[in-house]
Amino acid sequence: MANEDVWVVIPVFNEDRVIADVVERVRETFPNVVCVDDGSADQSASRIAGTRAHLVRHPINLGQGAALQTGLSYALARPGAKYFVTFDADGQHQTSDAERMVEVARSGAADAVLGSRFLEQAQGVPWLKRAVLRTAVAMSRTARKLKLTDAHNGLRVFTRPVAERLHITMNGMAHASEIVAFLAHGDFRIQEVPVTILYTDYSKTKGQSLVNGVNILFDISLRDRG
Amino acid sequence: MLAQVLLLLAVAGMLLYFASRKHNVRMQAGKRIAFFLFLALNVYAVLLPNHTTWLANQFGIGRGADMLLYLLVVAFIFGMLNTYLRFRGSNQQITELARTLAIREAELINHQRGVLTSEDVHSPVAATAPVDPEGLRS
Repeated sequence: MANEDVWVVIPVFNEDRVIADVVERVRETFPNVVCVDDGSADQSASRIAGTRAHLVRHPINLGQGAALQTGLSYALARPGAKYFVTFDADGQHQTSDAERMVEVARSGAADAVLGSRFLEQAQGVPWLKRAVLRTAVAMSRTARKLKLTDAHNGLRVFTRPVAERLHITMNGMAHASEIVAFLAHGDFRIQEVPVTILYTDYSKTKGQSLVNGVNILFDISLRDRG
Repeated sequence: MLAQVLLLLAVAGMLLYFASRKHNVRMQAGKRIAFFLFLALNVYAVLLPNHTTWLANQFGIGRGADMLLYLLVVAFIFGMLNTYLRFRGSNQQITELARTLAIREAELINHQRGVLTSEDVHSPVAATAPVDPEGLRS
């Protein structure tokens, strides 16, 4: 089967309504899926257990950044794993986009491939969200350095050397900025690929609230200190 | 006026202190000495309140009690930031602990579920980086 060397990491927190469908759809393209259940209070874990995805359960809720790192650590320990995809559990990402991004990484053109909502057209992105995300990019020194158009997209592909060196310490939502900063400081070739985000009613209720931006700024400003 | 400048400088100094990453043994000793100096000053202020008023006047503050309040605020912010960073450090350790446990257990469970082959089950210790104890040195 194709894509045996690709591992898809899906952090899951209270997604029992959609997670099984999302996993099944991803597994049509990528056989290796690891779902990290971040201490969900609902039936997410048993829904995942009903699929052929690998299940890792955090004993306590640690945050999305921590779940991503756990999934990456698990996938890195699997022999033959070369490409690592981070994928959202709420169904807003397209497997076809991930496939195109893996192809870019496979071609050797980039060490890390990041999805961007804004590269071609900002299709279907609510205007308020668009404004906030644009501001996040403009504020981030590292995002400007890498000439990124979308710093907070959950769809990413890392090659093995990148995944091995990445160590996410921001357990909460600030991990997106942390990953961008890590990529900027390392000597990696980064490429952005346009992706489509499906803003369904479900994903809208699960998406990051704008208020969260304040928390992210606070976390980032105090990181690595003390 | 002078007091305001000094207090603002104290706050700025604290921010600089937390922004710098030099948290070594010397820093820790410095913090402890500062703590004992602070205690000694408090004893002095309790025994001879008039002296604190005189000192406060030198800095343009009306009463000694006011000056003590300002100093208390500065010390409180300092302590709070310190606790916050220490808390974050131990949080990081909990995360690493939980991650190691979760992966170890997942390998067994996924093997039982038949999604992981048996030769693939091994200790995940090598896959997780050691915890940076940075946050615990304060």
